[in-house]
Amino acid sequence: MSDARLLSVLIPAVGGQGGGVLLEWIVDAALAGGLQVHGTSIPGVAQRTGSTTYYVEVFTAGDGDAEPPTFSLYPVPGALDVLLAPEFLEIGRMIELGFPSPDRTTIIASTHRLYSIHEKITTGRGVYPIENLQAAARAFSKTLYAFDALALAREHGTEANAVLLGALAGSGVLPIRVDTYRDAIQAKGVQVDANLRGFEAGLAVATRLGAGAGEGSPGFGTPLARDPSPAPAPAGPTADPDFERRIAEFPEELRPTLAQAVARLVDYQDRRYAERYLGRLTPFARDPEVARVVARHLAVWMTYEDAIRVAQLKTRPSRFERIRQEKGAQRGEIVVTDFLKPDLDEIYGILPYRLVAPFARWAERRWPHGRPALGQHVKTTTVLGYLRVWLLTLLRPLRPISYRAHAEHARMHRWLAAVARCASWDKALALEIARGAQLVKGYGDVRRRMTAHVDRLLESVMRAAECEAANGGGFEASRELAARYRTLVLQGPDAEARAVALADRVLARLTAADRRGALASLAEA
Amino acid sequence: MGERSFAEDVKQLGYGAGEILRGEGILAITKALLQSGVSYVGGYPGAPVSYLIDVLADANEPLLKPLGIYFEQSGSEAAAAALLGASINYPMRGAVTWKSVVGTNVASDALSHVASAGVIGGAVVVIGEDYGEGASILQERTHSAALKSSLPLLDPRNSLESFARFVEEGFGLSEACNEPVLVSIRIRACHMRGTLRCRDNVRPAISMLSPLGEPSFSLERINLPPFTYAMEAQKFEKRLPAAQRYIVEHRLNEHHRGDERQLGIIMQGGLWNTTLRGLHVLGLADTRGRTPIPLLVLNAIHPLVPDELLGFLRDKRRVLVVEEGMPNHIEREMKALAHDARLDVEIQGKDVFSPHGEYVPRLVIGGLRRFLTAGDLASRSAAEIDARYRALTAHLENVRSVLPEPVAKRPPSFCTGCPERPVFSAMKILRQREPEIGDTHVSADIGCSTFSTQAPFNVGNSVLGYGMGLASSSAVAPLFGKRTVSVMGDGGFWHNGLTNGVANAMYNRQDSVLVILDNFYAAATGQHHVPSTGTNARREPLQMTIPDALRGLGVKWIRTVNSYRIAEVLGTLREALTTRVPGLKVIIAKNECMLERQRREKPRVRQAIAAGEEVVQPRFGVDPDVCTGDHSCMRLNGCPSLTLRENPDPLREDPIAHVDETCVGCGVCGEVAHAAVLCPSFYEVKVIANPTPWTRVVARVRRAVIGRLAALTA
Repeated sequence: MSDARLLSVLIPAVGGQGGGVLLEWIVDAALAGGLQVHGTSIPGVAQRTGSTTYYVEVFTAGDGDAEPPTFSLYPVPGALDVLLAPEFLEIGRMIELGFPSPDRTTIIASTHRLYSIHEKITTGRGVYPIENLQAAARAFSKTLYAFDALALAREHGTEANAVLLGALAGSGVLPIRVDTYRDAIQAKGVQVDANLRGFEAGLAVATRLGAGAGEGSPGFGTPLARDPSPAPAPAGPTADPDFERRIAEFPEELRPTLAQAVARLVDYQDRRYAERYLGRLTPFARDPEVARVVARHLAVWMTYEDAIRVAQLKTRPSRFERIRQEKGAQRGEIVVTDFLKPDLDEIYGILPYRLVAPFARWAERRWPHGRPALGQHVKTTTVLGYLRVWLLTLLRPLRPISYRAHAEHARMHRWLAAVARCASWDKALALEIARGAQLVKGYGDVRRRMTAHVDRLLESVMRAAECEAANGGGFEASRELAARYRTLVLQGPDAEARAVALADRVLARLTAADRRGALASLAEA
Repeated sequence: MGERSFAEDVKQLGYGAGEILRGEGILAITKALLQSGVSYVGGYPGAPVSYLIDVLADANEPLLKPLGIYFEQSGSEAAAAALLGASINYPMRGAVTWKSVVGTNVASDALSHVASAGVIGGAVVVIGEDYGEGASILQERTHSAALKSSLPLLDPRNSLESFARFVEEGFGLSEACNEPVLVSIRIRACHMRGTLRCRDNVRPAISMLSPLGEPSFSLERINLPPFTYAMEAQKFEKRLPAAQRYIVEHRLNEHHRGDERQLGIIMQGGLWNTTLRGLHVLGLADTRGRTPIPLLVLNAIHPLVPDELLGFLRDKRRVLVVEEGMPNHIEREMKALAHDARLDVEIQGKDVFSPHGEYVPRLVIGGLRRFLTAGDLASRSAAEIDARYRALTAHLENVRSVLPEPVAKRPPSFCTGCPERPVFSAMKILRQREPEIGDTHVSADIGCSTFSTQAPFNVGNSVLGYGMGLASSSAVAPLFGKRTVSVMGDGGFWHNGLTNGVANAMYNRQDSVLVILDNFYAAATGQHHVPSTGTNARREPLQMTIPDALRGLGVKWIRTVNSYRIAEVLGTLREALTTRVPGLKVIIAKNECMLERQRREKPRVRQAIAAGEEVVQPRFGVDPDVCTGDHSCMRLNGCPSLTLRENPDPLREDPIAHVDETCVGCGVCGEVAHAAVLCPSFYEVKVIANPTPWTRVVARVRRAVIGRLAALTA
């Protein structure tokens, strides 16, 4: 039985990434190289932004016209020569299906991520752990070329598929000459120059990395793109001696966080506000671990995004610079339109408490959910548009006596008190309560929903803790409840109901002095 | 027209004898049609054969017309099947194509009638068997449909050469047995790229250039008793026997002898590649498909030829049937034959493979191994086979240790800038903010719009069939106690929804809301033209509009909305769901498919910028310091370009929203934020390339003034 080798290339792509073109380039190059080849793909709607695969087989016996081999339309698990992946998560999918094998497969992968909808719709961080994908890519490849092909592509004004073709050529796994690939791009006649630039870039990377070098290659293991823009809060009063002194009173490991926080608070309101922050933090300074968590969340919470803050952020000159950079308009001009729609709370929220409190209470009864809102499109790059938003920032002095401030600080106080109380019981519990403030996010209805969860978390966990304290310590149930409640809510709206139900169940058990039962229902949740 | 232009490929369709065509399976099939001298071709687009319609459309002007061949993109598969009626009375060859099994279901009525009356000109149906990985429809096989109508069914080996051969044989077979012939092509095979040695195209004797003129009439061809009884008799006395003779004489099925005399494998032609690859990796075949195991490759799976099968079974102890799908007609027939012929042979099939699912390598190799290691092979010991199998699968055991959590699913969804997506954002917002009216039963439809049932929308309680959205709510609406909503794409509307949906609802005075998503094309199959596109597949101008059609059926309450304006869509939905006006209320949400639009616009913009003209491109963005990272926008929007980015704020931990560079500036993120009162993070930025001096001056003045103001509060 003659056994000239068949080489197989599997391309797991995301619909719209140009996997089809990549396949055609490879097939055309192989044909031009006098090899028998065939390629297949899954057509139609399966390709619309979903996972889809393309597959190529190349017959290494260079007898173009001889009896054709039996090509397979599918890769064979464990018998794959090249996994050419334009997106990093799709590698994991192919590994789950068993296609690449450590003793045979060369994995050439772009490490950038296109997030699946399921990773995006959580309220917290739902991104699939990149370390798993890295470990898998290493464990299931004979040779690994991993680099951020998309970043390279953007550098050269093209798409990742051209860069990956270059890397494939550079890896030399297929018996096709580099020039033959170039010819294939030429022959295809689509965006030839850009694609050739991308091809050369990929070729260079692959030749540089050489065999086995995935580690440390550009972009390897960057789960999320970083925001190129400078951090929003300007580093202000680090030069300020008074604050320098106050901050120095705190433990070493807290100081960087505090510096950032103070800068942020002064920028948000004024020096007194920053001092109030440090004052609130002092009682926790004894335990740096708890203090760090409180410090972070308290700084974010105290700089809650009211209409004044939004106006301030939207009218920063640095903002328009950032937009120019991000949207690649350094040389051109830009016209920015902001989509603002403050609802009733956000409007009366910036007015003095004494003035609007009665109205606010009525409004909250009148519209239990979904308050009326004032929608507007403001062109903030025009003088009048800018003025409209900028004028709001002048209300900043009123903020401390505003209705919103009253409500927010009351809630912060309850949270801090809870943390302090728990710290006297059990450090781990105090940490979990402190972390609860992560739920404070969003605007309008979302904000109201999330803060309601904070209230509920504080209330039920504190009651749980009281019960456990009464039964002589051991705060596993309360700790676990605080953690589970937070993570469930961060999973998204569907899980929020489960969090509430869990809290009720656990409390019922604890008040019935059934601690084992409480822990059981926490374990199964 | 179409997702892809085959203009280049079409040149190859003109190739003469000996020239080598390079391209997809679809192209080889089209070439074979031309080489068979067809007088007419048609069909309805649907993956995996939708590109066949594109190829034909692109070939119409340069090739089909000059040969006098009539081409149409039929209104539905039923219309396509009825096209074959031309071959009942007249000796002309014709071919149609559609997606199966669903297309075959739609076509059944016409198809059964053609099958009953019989044809005198070769009639071939190229069906794209949309079964298995990448299928977009319910999972059934076409085999049973072929059996009930006595239609010969070819399931050829997967190579361009083989497709071309069996399409050509299909016409011969059809003329030999006077039945239309089904040629089944599997999903991946349609887009398999390879080469074909061409023959000359054949000019049809009967064509638009040399028309019929004379009608032909014969009562025997009218589907009415008593002739229908005669037709039925003919099927089994004349036509199928004739088909079996043709199959044998033209060696449509391949019998490969081998040294392992007591064993044998029988397979559907379409599974040749996978089976032989399976044997190869288990060490029982070489890369060219030479194997010691006797094989019977059934490129014609209906009708089967008893003598051929018995000939293969004789003197064998164990035979394996590799047959995809249920019912396992082949395996059962083999067993019955063996029993009647008192053959002492063990026939296995579904018991070693699987009753359901596509026969992918993993499944086939597993089954082959069980079959081959059970008995004594001369050429390889069971131990050797097992060793090779283990070598292939050993690494599988470690998968879960490296990937403890299953990899996140990535379902297909609406493209960036899709004009259908915002309609479902509106429906979800209404469901959340006004549940008393918005939280109702939604009957979804087939097409891109089916994605509404997926995350993040989960809008749509049932999916019944193409254009069946409205019809499938007929019983729900009156029994629901709330106004229900049904959805339909423009493709589905013209295919089936107009009659079975709208006419039926009007006729039965249904009180419900129908949302028609008009994006100008059948987008899911690749932007194929529909009657309201403005031109047909032959690019001839048309004046058919959806509102006219609705008014023609007496629909009074019709609103057309800009699908990108979510507030407008929301308001219109609210009105439709609450108005006192009884009867059917139709909302037409309109905007061009963004894929098609970008395909047209992108090059234009690129040129304009290169030429130094001032070009204004809208883009959207998120202020990283204003976004608090709650991702509500993603749960209501789902645009691929609206994604995540690490939080630049060192004091915050959760990722924030980010609009990446693939944004096309449709404006939906801003609209969603507004309609759902989410957050002020979104902004639209008009990026002006090559600004004119005037634009620059205005901008500079604005920047100066704004700079002063900013300085006051800095």
